[in-house]
Amino acid sequence: MIETIQSLWAAVPEPVQIPVLIVVKILVIVLPLMGAVAYLTFAERKIIGYIQVRIGPNRVGPRGWLQPIADAVKLLTKEIVLPANASRFLFLIAPVLAIGPALAAWAVVPFDEGLLLADIDAALLYVLALTSLAVYGIIIAGWASNSKYALLGAMRSAAQMVAYEIAMGFALVGVLMVGDSLNLREIVLRQAGSPLHWFVWPLLPLFVVYFVSGVAETNRAPFDVAEGESEIVAGFHVEYSGIAFGVFFLAEYANMILISTLASLMFLGGWLSPFEGWAPESWFAVPVLGTLLASGIHWLLAKTAFFLFCFLWFRATFPRYRYDQIMRLGWKVFLPLTIVWLFVEGLAQYFRIGPWFA
Amino acid sequence: MALTFQQFLFYAFAAVLVGAALGVITARNPVHSVLYLVLAFFTSAALWLLMEAEFLALTLVLVYVGAVMVLFLFVVMMLDIDLAALRAGFTRYLPLGLVVAALIVWEMASVLGPARFGPGRVAAPAPHGAGYSNTKALGETLYTQHLYAFEVAALILLVAIVAAIALTLRRRPDTRRQDPARQVRVRRRDRVRLVRMAPERRPAPAASEPGGRTGTEEA
Amino acid sequence: MVPLSHYLILSAVLFCIAVAGVFLNRKNVIVLLMAIELMLLAVNTNFVAFSRYLGDTTGQVFVFFVLTVAAAEAAIGLAILVVLFRNRRSINVDDLDRMKG
Repeated sequence: MIETIQSLWAAVPEPVQIPVLIVVKILVIVLPLMGAVAYLTFAERKIIGYIQVRIGPNRVGPRGWLQPIADAVKLLTKEIVLPANASRFLFLIAPVLAIGPALAAWAVVPFDEGLLLADIDAALLYVLALTSLAVYGIIIAGWASNSKYALLGAMRSAAQMVAYEIAMGFALVGVLMVGDSLNLREIVLRQAGSPLHWFVWPLLPLFVVYFVSGVAETNRAPFDVAEGESEIVAGFHVEYSGIAFGVFFLAEYANMILISTLASLMFLGGWLSPFEGWAPESWFAVPVLGTLLASGIHWLLAKTAFFLFCFLWFRATFPRYRYDQIMRLGWKVFLPLTIVWLFVEGLAQYFRIGPWFA
Repeated sequence: MALTFQQFLFYAFAAVLVGAALGVITARNPVHSVLYLVLAFFTSAALWLLMEAEFLALTLVLVYVGAVMVLFLFVVMMLDIDLAALRAGFTRYLPLGLVVAALIVWEMASVLGPARFGPGRVAAPAPHGAGYSNTKALGETLYTQHLYAFEVAALILLVAIVAAIALTLRRRPDTRRQDPARQVRVRRRDRVRLVRMAPERRPAPAASEPGGRTGTEEA
Repeated sequence: MVPLSHYLILSAVLFCIAVAGVFLNRKNVIVLLMAIELMLLAVNTNFVAFSRYLGDTTGQVFVFFVLTVAAAEAAIGLAILVVLFRNRRSINVDDLDRMKG
């Protein structure tokens, strides 16, 4: 069977082989991602349910496990309503613009040593550039809907994203100063050694700024004024229904997973194991447990899952920020904080302090 | 002549870029103009990537598409513009604009054409190897030879921030805002006064005098 | 490989479209600002192309500075535009003939 496939593959001309290979690689990343998104929505409802002492969805399938599939089928079969006087083309392309960058950024995310789609040199810059594009889907959706609430949501979202983009960029500048590279794989490898070498320790303020900005960038609670269902109905996607709404939903959750993955790559050592460096060698020799303790993709997934849990936890815990408070936090707290910490970092690097700046 | 993949990409992006640029100047709605300009920037970034200037290409997307154009969109969407008045004279200046543009294109093309900058004159550079880092090369030049200019650029940005904020900041006299410090400073004695007074007797229900109103009387 | 002249002519065309845009949209300050951005984009493309084909990184450094200054210009330009609109309720260039604020 495998030999037949191999011989068939060899017969394919090379100009066809390369694109096919790339498409296959993309699918290998995107399909599990979509699955993760679907079950993240389920996890969200379950976790928030338990936090609020409810059970959460439990009707579809055993213990509600088929709920996301039922939701997807429902969204797919509903009609997409075009509002009167909406800008037809922009209205329909906005969800695509929202999800495109959220998926494209995964091209440079390394999952394990050597396990990534594109090992490009300026990966960090690429990620930052693509996440900054996410705002277009929201602005265009809000404008093209020809609705007051949608436009208000889009305006809020645009201002908020620009504000937090800067703090986020500065936090990443801190990472590249310590990591000495824009390449995500090299940044992770720079943290090798022990959990003490992870960048979260020297960059603790920047880590906090990055993660909170990430929550704000994805328009998640408590920064979800762009949706703000108690103030402006549902913000930028009031007028969307059916799968067009579903795609926005997908983009939001894909962005959450992206931010969590990047946070674990840049600050928590990515796929590196926390047992590295201090656990005795004999631990890693134990048959199954040893493999689990050693570095590998499962650690990246575990760290990402932790951050995703934090996203849901925040949503269940904090009341929504007022809009001017969001702006104040972004411009007057995070921005000065990051600049001060970059200065401190520069000094530490100049005097070669600690294991991180040597 | 068969197109190589790179050439195909160049011509495709060039076509999109020219189309987007035409869209910028001809779109009826300024919002559409801004979106066409976003497309133009994005396509240019792709073209710069073709020229192996990846740092600048990504910076273009990050700075222009991600920030400056969002600002443009924000302003355009917020302002309530009378489109008809702004479009007046569009057709009147169309011939003149076209003539001038065509003239400049012709002049530039005759100077910049293949006769002077064609493949025979300027040899195509070899693609960089795997170890080459555009970011690093740029940084090495920027922080050594051009350090002074770099610092001046930083100063320009600072002045721009100050200028933009100073221009648009306004204190509206009619807005009411809360002052949390004052709210916190409030003491009970500033607001509440407890008075001791003797209990009052309820007035008689049969009100004979005209000024004596009781609480149950309906207005 | 695409010859250098193709890049140069492409940016020449881009520049001229922007010039035509200034002619066509003489009244709309926003489109004028955008036309200027297009011109700068054409210039930058030229710089990048020369830098690549002549093998000199300095061209890219120049683009870096042009981007910086252009971003500053766009920010201040938009700020002026907003103030203008606040005072005049219009962004028509023809309405900007009064010096009195």
